[in-house]
Amino acid sequence: MFEFLFKYPFDVFAKGHLVLMGSWPSWILLLLILAAAAALASLLILGRKHFTKALRGYRSVVLWALDWALLAVLLLLLWQPAISVTALKQQQNIIAVVLDDSRSMALKDTGNSRQQEAVTLLESGLLKDLQSRYQVRIYRLGATVDRIDALSQLSAAQPSTQIGKGLQQLANEAATLPIGSVVLLSDGADNSGGIDLKTLTELQRRRLPVNTIGFGKTELYSDVELDGFDVSNKALEGSRLEAQVSIRQNGFGGKQARLNLSGGGKVLASREITLNQSGKQVESLEFNAGPGGVKSLEVRLDPLAGETNLENNRLTRVLWVESGKHRILYVEGEPRWEYKFIRRAVDDDPAISVVSMLRTTQNKIYRQGISTPNELEEGFPTKPEDLFEYDGIILGSVEEAFFTAGQTDAIRNFVDRRGGGLLFLAGRWALADGGYNVAPFADLLPVQLPTRKNTFQRNFAAAELTDAGRRSLVCRIEEDAEKSNRHWEILPYLANYQDPGTPKPGAVVLARVDAGGNRLPLLITENYGRGRSAVFATAGSWRWRMQQPLGDVSQETFWRQLLRWVVGATPTRVVASTPNANLEDESHVELRAEVRDKQYLPANDAQVDAKIIGPDGSSETVAMHPEPLSPGVYAADWQAQTPGSYVADVTARQAGIPLGHDALTFRRENGEAENFHREQNRELLEKLAEQTGGRYYPPGDAKKLAREIAFSEAGITGREIKEIWDMPIVFLLVLLLKSSEWLLRRRWGVV
Amino acid sequence: MRGRSFWLFSLSCLAIFSAVCATVQQPDFELLSNDPSNVGKRTTRKEQQPGVFREYPAWEYNNFPIPDDYNVPGEWVFARFMYRAVPTWRGRLANWTIDYPRSDRHLSAAVRRLTRIQVRSAEEPVAAEDGDDIYNWPWLYAVEVGHWDLTDLQAAKLRDFLLRGGFFMCDDFHGSEEWAVFTESMKKVFPDRAIVDLPNSDPIFHTVYDLDDRYQVPGMQVTVTHRIAEKDGFIPRWRGIYDDKHRVMVAICHNMDLGDSWENADDPRYPEQYSALGFRIGVDYLVYAMTH
Repeated sequence: MFEFLFKYPFDVFAKGHLVLMGSWPSWILLLLILAAAAALASLLILGRKHFTKALRGYRSVVLWALDWALLAVLLLLLWQPAISVTALKQQQNIIAVVLDDSRSMALKDTGNSRQQEAVTLLESGLLKDLQSRYQVRIYRLGATVDRIDALSQLSAAQPSTQIGKGLQQLANEAATLPIGSVVLLSDGADNSGGIDLKTLTELQRRRLPVNTIGFGKTELYSDVELDGFDVSNKALEGSRLEAQVSIRQNGFGGKQARLNLSGGGKVLASREITLNQSGKQVESLEFNAGPGGVKSLEVRLDPLAGETNLENNRLTRVLWVESGKHRILYVEGEPRWEYKFIRRAVDDDPAISVVSMLRTTQNKIYRQGISTPNELEEGFPTKPEDLFEYDGIILGSVEEAFFTAGQTDAIRNFVDRRGGGLLFLAGRWALADGGYNVAPFADLLPVQLPTRKNTFQRNFAAAELTDAGRRSLVCRIEEDAEKSNRHWEILPYLANYQDPGTPKPGAVVLARVDAGGNRLPLLITENYGRGRSAVFATAGSWRWRMQQPLGDVSQETFWRQLLRWVVGATPTRVVASTPNANLEDESHVELRAEVRDKQYLPANDAQVDAKIIGPDGSSETVAMHPEPLSPGVYAADWQAQTPGSYVADVTARQAGIPLGHDALTFRRENGEAENFHREQNRELLEKLAEQTGGRYYPPGDAKKLAREIAFSEAGITGREIKEIWDMPIVFLLVLLLKSSEWLLRRRWGVV
Repeated sequence: MRGRSFWLFSLSCLAIFSAVCATVQQPDFELLSNDPSNVGKRTTRKEQQPGVFREYPAWEYNNFPIPDDYNVPGEWVFARFMYRAVPTWRGRLANWTIDYPRSDRHLSAAVRRLTRIQVRSAEEPVAAEDGDDIYNWPWLYAVEVGHWDLTDLQAAKLRDFLLRGGFFMCDDFHGSEEWAVFTESMKKVFPDRAIVDLPNSDPIFHTVYDLDDRYQVPGMQVTVTHRIAEKDGFIPRWRGIYDDKHRVMVAICHNMDLGDSWENADDPRYPEQYSALGFRIGVDYLVYAMTH
């Protein structure tokens, strides 16, 4: 219809611009249009006293406007308007026809496979049309793009689709070849997570349009698919973790399904879920990380009757469970029951070791949990590097004046620079009562302390969770979330509480205390610098142990989880990472390491190596090079050729002295990617076309492509002038304007 | 005349003694519940609340002045265990009140003076029959346990208290006969755990003071008899019962009288060195209880 009215395809107007072919300058046209407007207006003004009642008011203005518009159109036509558009010169340009050759193209949505439909479309005239105007090169697309001589070389057997990579290759070829346009026949099921910005920018720079023809159903088949599996890649031994599993489904809304998480040959978590009517949902599974080591975690949805694809019901991730204990320095200013029961709660925690110094008298300190006889012999560490040997600090009822200026600075740097965790407890010499209103404690606290004293109260109070606390694993004192929340409601009263003040912006309040009708924050957490800090505004949770039956381990569980939060994310001197730990039909892995010296300042002159152990037990050591713009950061690239789980042990030395090491895991999968997202990704194909100046065509509309493809600015092009004065729409416009005027005159009785 | 005077004197003493016995209002453990079946079960917050402060008439003191700040709460309170005593021809006596409340308050003052612990100035008598009150006082003391005869409920509650993390210190019993009485009830609490000598190296003797050189602490009777030991308790035994993680749960002070050393610390007749050691042992034991 558009072409019928406008004579040319839409692309001519979209990609071209209006020109006036008349010999007179265009300013004369503008002048004449304005003059016509003035002349008609003056006729209207001069003749108004002869107007009948019917023509008074706005009606005369309307008629004036219609007459003026008609005159303007006629004047415009005199200047011979046309569209100037760039078009490919026929037979001088190459059209790259790229066919998706991955396994997803073998799916049969109708009687034929997607690839068969693509081939049929090409053979039914499209290819001939293109070949009659241009030189055509045919490519097949999988992980890369390869030129083929005949369509019979296609097999729909490639294990993955990497559209971005393929287009990048073609963009590079366009530097030396006159590629005028790309025609991509695909279902859009890209396995690299989308087209990267660099490729798009390159295509736009070369003005190389990508026209896409999409195949396959656009909605998910009658199927349930695991769309994502998010879980930490590192954890402390015995920690409680939460995995988030994204699920997509079509046709199974309201049905029950069983979601299982297994690792190390054991089922770690399993529960029944109900599939949403909306088709998308995220479910969480909580599980215990178990003992130390590298674990392959598999999440699996039990198949439902009627599913068309069972290969997408499971996903695998790798988890590194750290062995060894994180050390926490607990400074307590007075003997009290909370101290005893905190130590007892984590006494046999495999991941936590509490080293404590307790002021028993004014001038005596009792040390516990020390690893050598002279640890903390001189009291609280005075050198930052000694303090940085710990992973977390607990400050009990110890006043700010107990510390020297150097020690308080070291505590701030412990959190900010070293990345350690700091937990403040309540007490008659803690928080506001301990003089913590002054820096750096005031900065480190996740609360704004009250300015008054006597904030510590020895009165019973009930603890209650906030919404954030109900969702937080720190406060999960039972395996089941609902049971845990209910248990909090019956926990014994705390023996005391302290007013911690107001939570700062960015702090999270996990629990409150009900102090005789007055609700005060009880457990508040915040990230600070590279580390984190928290306030637990009581020293009376020991009653959760003494007033609950022997088999109840909620007090111990709470303290273990809280202390694991304090130290779990504390980095070592070497922190290894990779941006993509799950390689799907991709072998390139980028390793990164952040290295700090004894003062936890970036170490720019370290020797950093990564020993990579593959799934078959073989190992290779790779030297990591410093990143020029990132102090203390080292990187290396590597190729993971074999499918399976890998461990990279990164070690760093400075002047021959070991600084530390860290390990990271990643996993390479082969042939799995094509099992997921099998429906046509129309959105990706449309966006790709739109952003490169091409168009998306459903197969039924693809016949127009051969003609419309001409309007491209890539390859060898020429300017074409398309006259528009004889467009049917122009004639219709003139007719419309005149007949409108006549009809209105008739209606108003002035004809 | 002489004979008549003697009889008059004896009858007077008997009358006064009876009057005294008649005015002691102690809980009659025979009348209280002795059902241990609910021990260790979950209770409500209301049931877990401590009761109001009360002072009992004691063996040695009546109407002992209560400190003005008795109701100012503290982190540690001297909690004295109220137990049933063995039957005698005079009935079951209130042995649990020996030295009470003077020794309790003297130790409290000493702890306040010698450590950074916030101490309540008044003691807390604690009965196993009083619901879950026992669990509010993680440090518990009992005197003259050579005369105790724990009920089933008292033994069960004490056991549960200790396994939850409580600490129990017992003192002032002497000789082999009293040891037998003590262990008979202690076996009801822990039939499966041995009573062992605490070695010098145990942290309990080194929390605040290093007490490798300890000596026998006699009761006030030493000022009259000039004998340090009572009955056949010639050798002081610092004994205990450990938990599964080798932490002392029960600290047993046999053949000594620490309670008297605290009680009579301000009596010039009582030798100072015994009070000094008594306080130091008390402080070490208490800080141990608050750190292990």
